[in-house]
This record gives sequence, C-alpha cells and structure tokens, in this order.
Amino acid sequence: MKHLPKYLRPRWRYVAVGIETWPDADVGRRAFQRALWYAAGNLVGDAGSADADLSLLSFAYADGRGEAVVRVRHGHVAEARASIACVSEVDGEPVGIRVRGISGTVRACEERYMGRAGGTSTQRDVAFEDAERPAVVRGDACDVRTESGHVGATTFDIE
Amino acid sequence: MSPQASARERASDDRESATGIRPEAKGDAMYEAVHAHPDGDATVARHAATAARYGYDGIVVRTREALDPVLVDPTGDRGATGDAGDPAADASTDGAPASGDRERDPAALGEEYGVDVVDAVEIDADDPTSASGSVGNYRPERTVVCLVGGDDALNRFAVEEPRVDVLARPMAGSGGFNHVLAKAARDNGVHVEFDLGPLFRETGGKRVRALADLRKLREIVTNYDAPHVVSANAASHLELRAPREVVAAAEAVGFDPEWVREGLDAWGEIAARTRERRSEAFIAPGVRRGRYEEDG
Repeated sequence: MKHLPKYLRPRWRYVAVGIETWPDADVGRRAFQRALWYAAGNLVGDAGSADADLSLLSFAYADGRGEAVVRVRHGHVAEARASIACVSEVDGEPVGIRVRGISGTVRACEERYMGRAGGTSTQRDVAFEDAERPAVVRGDACDVRTESGHVGATTFDIE
Repeated sequence: MSPQASARERASDDRESATGIRPEAKGDAMYEAVHAHPDGDATVARHAATAARYGYDGIVVRTREALDPVLVDPTGDRGATGDAGDPAADASTDGAPASGDRERDPAALGEEYGVDVVDAVEIDADDPTSASGSVGNYRPERTVVCLVGGDDALNRFAVEEPRVDVLARPMAGSGGFNHVLAKAARDNGVHVEFDLGPLFRETGGKRVRALADLRKLREIVTNYDAPHVVSANAASHLELRAPREVVAAAEAVGFDPEWVREGLDAWGEIAARTRERRSEAFIAPGVRRGRYEEDG
C-alpha cells in the first residue's frame, strides 16, 4: 500500500522500559507483549488499549534483567505508563517494571535509556540470616534462595 | 540532615530519572510504605536501594520485625520513651540500636542508600481491645503507627484514636467507611490509607471490587477533607512502582494526580511530625522550647 502523507501518519512516542525478575525466571518477548496488552486491556479497556498501541519494538532479557522499547501513540503516554505499571507478572513470574524514559524516536530512546544491563551476575553462597545460602549477586543487589522462595537482599545485608 | 543530604546527592547520579530534575525539586517528597522481610520478599536494604533508584525520598517499613526502633533521636535529643531515670534503659538506648545490626538500623540504611528509612509498625489486631494495647505498646517506640482496619469495629477504633497515624486498608474484608468515620479521622489526624495494591496486582472481579471500594472511600474522604495516604503496599522490590507510575495508574482509575502525590508525601509528613514531637524542644503542639529572651 502506498504510504500515507506525512500529516496523516500517526505520531509515536517510544517508551523505554526496564524489567526485573527473580534470577531463575524466564521472560520471553511474546509473553511480555501479551502481558502488556492484557494489562492495558484490563486497565483502559479495548478502546484505550487500541489508542495507546503499546506494541513491543525491541526486547532483551537475560538472568533476571531486561529492557524493552514500547511504541505508544502520541497523546496516550499517560495511559500507557499506567498500563505498563500494572504489569505485575509475566507467565506467572512476578516482575518489577519501570519506565526509564520516553523519546520521540527509536534511536534517541535506545541511545539514552537502553544498554544498561547492570553488570554481570555471579552465583555464590552468602551468609544470610545465620545460614549459608545460595544467591545470585549483581552489583549491590543480591537475590538469596531460601526455603520459602527468593528473598531480595543487598550486599548491605550479607556483609 | 546533612549526612543524608550528601548521600542523596551521591545516589541521585545513578537514578533512572527521565529528566535531570531532582525529585525534591519537583515539589512534594515521595514516600512509599513497604512490607519488608520477614513479612515480605525483600529486605529493608533492597527496598531502600530500589526506592532510591526509582526516585523516592523515603520508605516507611511497615514490618516491625525488620527494623530496630529508633529510641533516640538522631540529632541527639532525649529518648522518646522518656525513662531517663532508668540506667539500664539509658545504656540500651544510647544512640546505637538494641541489636547492633547495621542492616536493622534505619539511620545506617538511610545513609547507605540516600533515602529516609522510617521505622513503622502495622498493628493487625482482632478487636479494638487488643488493638488498644498494641497501640500503647508501640506508639512510644515507632515513628509511624499503622492500624490494619478491615472490620467496622477496628475502623471505628482507629479513627477515634489520635495515637494512630494511619488506618491501613480500611475497605479490606468486611470493613466499611462512612461520613462519621471520615469526620473522626479528620478531627483526630488519622490518615486513611488508599491501598493501590489490587490495582497493580489483581485482575478480574477482585480488582473491580477493590477499585469500587477505593472510589467510595475517595468520595467520602475528599468530601470531609480527612487526611489520606497512598501506597502500593509492595511486599518485595518487584512490587515497587516508581512515583510517576503510581500517579499515572491512580489517575487512570479516577484519582486526581495532585491528590495522589499529596498522599505519597503524607507518609513523610507523618514521620516528620513524630520526630518533631520526640525532639527535645517539643512541649505541646504549637509550643516549643526555644531560647528565652534575656533583656536587661
């Protein structure tokens, strides 16, 4: 199809999203996109969801940290931000999610907000609550595995 | 405040802020009230680190077991318990927290992460009688005292008790709220909590009912201008949401954004009010001990 004249093309905003999960979780691109659309559908309805668009342009995830660029129709950024905040789990895995920033072009969005993976993670045993426990340490953050699941700690807790 | 201010400056460098504007320059201070390990899935330190990254100015830790109480004001004022005559109590309250663990000391945590860490307690009692006992026990040692509502008797008790700072989750369970409670809350300075947890983490009918309750509560509370606080009730660092996201999500379900920001700021105001009352100079509301004028 012939492309639209410039004044009829939709205008977009590109939202940089940071994602955080427990280290053993696995979040896929399709699952994240589905969670995003479900969250928007549930919060602002089908109509609002269609307005906001919220399609995933790029997605990267490894070892409990991820980032994504989400396309949003200009003028619907507030609804998009609210919908993104309401993504509480992807495929049953709880996720922490955060809007890092918003840009007018994909390139600016990637240059400004992408590519901060937050260092590499290492697996080691740490002393937490009077016991040696396996943990995944990344920078200051430290996810400790306990009998009742993971506990988020920091190096401040385990020293 | 100066060590905290410098720590905050350091922490603001690695903040994920969209704009270069400091959160404090944007107006209200932003506080969030969290459940920490062992009640939640993240320690106080992890909550503090995440909150600092998200642009919060402070966290209120609702879990009593997670922090040692600050018995002595950081500025070196008298102990809040006022038992200065007891030498044993003096020794234990001498600046350092009781257990001596760094990760349980609000001041050390606050300095490390550049956010204000406030020790609080959430009293979850079965009936007003036992709630009253707990309020008496924890009021002297905790900066923020929350009482979990959820049934009519407890809601009534909380709003009529000036020693309670926050009535938490009043609409959970069978609890109701009406104009009588709103007026009492306003007169006693008890903040009514708006729990946005279900908005972020529930789906379907549960969420619909929670949102309907929030709307009803909002209409009553705003009509009588009763004090309010807003929180996402995060139980782990993954459940924390940045202030702008909280405001945006609340706006999407009908809250006024400025009103939500006030609700986040109110946690800090409660903490400041208690600290002021504990300080040496405080005598009664509006009466402070200052330097008297020497004339002649």
